[in-house]
Amino acid sequence: MQLKQAYLNKVMAGILLALPVNAMADATYDTLRNQVEALQKQLQDVQQSLDNYQHKSTSKRKFSALEKKVAQAAEWKTPNTLIHMSGYADVGYTDSKNTNGSFNLGSFSPIFHFQYRDLVMLESELEFEVEPDGGTSVALEYLTVDLFLNDYVALVAGKFLSPIGQFRQNLHPSWVNKLPSAVPGFGHDGAAPVSDVGLQLRGGFPINRMRTNYAIYIANGPELNAEWDGTGFELDGTNAEGFGSDRDGKKVIGGRFAVLPIPKLEFGISAATGKATVTKIEDDLGTAPAIVIGAEQRRDYDVLGFDMSWQYRGLNIRGEYVQTKIGSDNSTGVTASPGGKWTAWYAQIAYQFLPGKYEAVIRYADFNTPHPSVDQKQTTIGLNYLFANNVIGKLAYEINKGLSGSTTDENRILFQLAYGF
Amino acid sequence: MKTIRIVTHSVKVIIFSMLLSTTAPASDYPAAGNSQKGAKVWADNCGRCHNIRGAMELRDDQWISTVYHMRLRAGLTGQESRDVLTFLQGSNTPVHEQVNARTDTSVQSARSGKSIYNQTCIACHGADGRGSLPGVPDFLSSKSPLAKNDAILLNNIINGIQSPGSLMAMPPKGGNPNLTHADLKAVLKYLHQTFK
Repeated sequence: MQLKQAYLNKVMAGILLALPVNAMADATYDTLRNQVEALQKQLQDVQQSLDNYQHKSTSKRKFSALEKKVAQAAEWKTPNTLIHMSGYADVGYTDSKNTNGSFNLGSFSPIFHFQYRDLVMLESELEFEVEPDGGTSVALEYLTVDLFLNDYVALVAGKFLSPIGQFRQNLHPSWVNKLPSAVPGFGHDGAAPVSDVGLQLRGGFPINRMRTNYAIYIANGPELNAEWDGTGFELDGTNAEGFGSDRDGKKVIGGRFAVLPIPKLEFGISAATGKATVTKIEDDLGTAPAIVIGAEQRRDYDVLGFDMSWQYRGLNIRGEYVQTKIGSDNSTGVTASPGGKWTAWYAQIAYQFLPGKYEAVIRYADFNTPHPSVDQKQTTIGLNYLFANNVIGKLAYEINKGLSGSTTDENRILFQLAYGF
Repeated sequence: MKTIRIVTHSVKVIIFSMLLSTTAPASDYPAAGNSQKGAKVWADNCGRCHNIRGAMELRDDQWISTVYHMRLRAGLTGQESRDVLTFLQGSNTPVHEQVNARTDTSVQSARSGKSIYNQTCIACHGADGRGSLPGVPDFLSSKSPLAKNDAILLNNIINGIQSPGSLMAMPPKGGNPNLTHADLKAVLKYLHQTFK
């Protein structure tokens, strides 16, 4: 009993002693819990800060990489040297009464530009063509080094498209020409010179509210062809396609001056003069006497041309006239023969139906030469579909009047798909 | 012969005097031009020979060589070429902005809608609003784009638009990135007032 009582006393004493200890333990627990919660909060804040830092760091890296890419891309926007390629190509189909219809590859004409700042540009156009026999021909249409001397003058040196008139220098590319065929007399056949090798100054300047543009040149000039008919020579034609030598030793000078009294209305006058001599003979009979280059007399060579164009919304009207006169050779030269005159002109009206993609075209052309087999009067009507402003499908019908039985007298239907790039 | 000698002499004089006026190339190539004048030169001259290519068809660097090539072909002056280049490169500037015409609180333009139209829009849309280039819509026709609500029109002007059936896209802000929203709202108001 005594032992039991003593035990109970101890327990009671322990409980009494423990009560304040428990109270103290609760306070410590609360403090510790608060501290732990505060630490957890601080840890979360640290974690959040760390996450933010990592995110910012990643963004910064991405931004730096992007900045570098942009800087690299910007390098190409304004480099001192630019390399650029454009050009045009066309494919087509041609059919006429006396000739089998054929698909044909018109040409592939890449144009290269190499430019150094606003000081100089090298321009060159090649012309690849598939011949009827399947072969491929390549020609250098032009190659010039253009020095931009000031705001009004550029010096063009090399082989350049003839600035006589408009068709040759600006309108002959297939995606620009509104019909599938070149104008008779303005192609590689006739009255208008095609290209020349020499120096040219060109540019434009305003006169009050009127605009003007000009080109003047000095060049090697053309060479002449003579034809042997079994008894004598006659002048066959002018070969004005940019010769790299001046066989007659006399330069040709010429140019064009145009005014635009109001925007989109242009009148131009062209002229060239110089000397040319026969360097080639056409001899189907094989009996022509040999000629000595340089021994033939120089003949007068004179070109005169006029052109106009006008655009009003979907309407486009243009016309052009050019004549080439070759003087006679009255000397004792082997090919001595009378001179001749080649003239060609055309008028063209095109109308683009708005806002659609169809364009109707009608053109009349007249080409007169000393040779009836070449003379031609041509009326062409065409309908174009513009897949894009530089991708054009053309369908045209040519009504040709020439020497009966010759190809110049055959009507033709032509289709062409032209792409300017 | 006398004529040839006179012409030859004249050509020599012209060449000599032109060479004397040669100036050094610009140091800040390609020098900035006037976008508004460039738009006019572009609209007036490119169509003289060929269908006009859209202002956004080539990259900025491609436009440089193309414009210098065309300077020679079209007989443009150096200043006209720089103006055209500025317009074409400005047309390539993306905007990608959406503007709510009703809630847009941009301040009033310091310029009149008429003056902005006559300096920027007129090159393609023409003084009479009927379009001076093939493919540009007629503001006076029954299918005028002005029939759309202002929010759509303003966004189209700001961001540019390729109209269905049209061969050429209108560049953002008509190719003049310097125009503000207030300027464009003033133009829109002028369009409604003038081309009813």
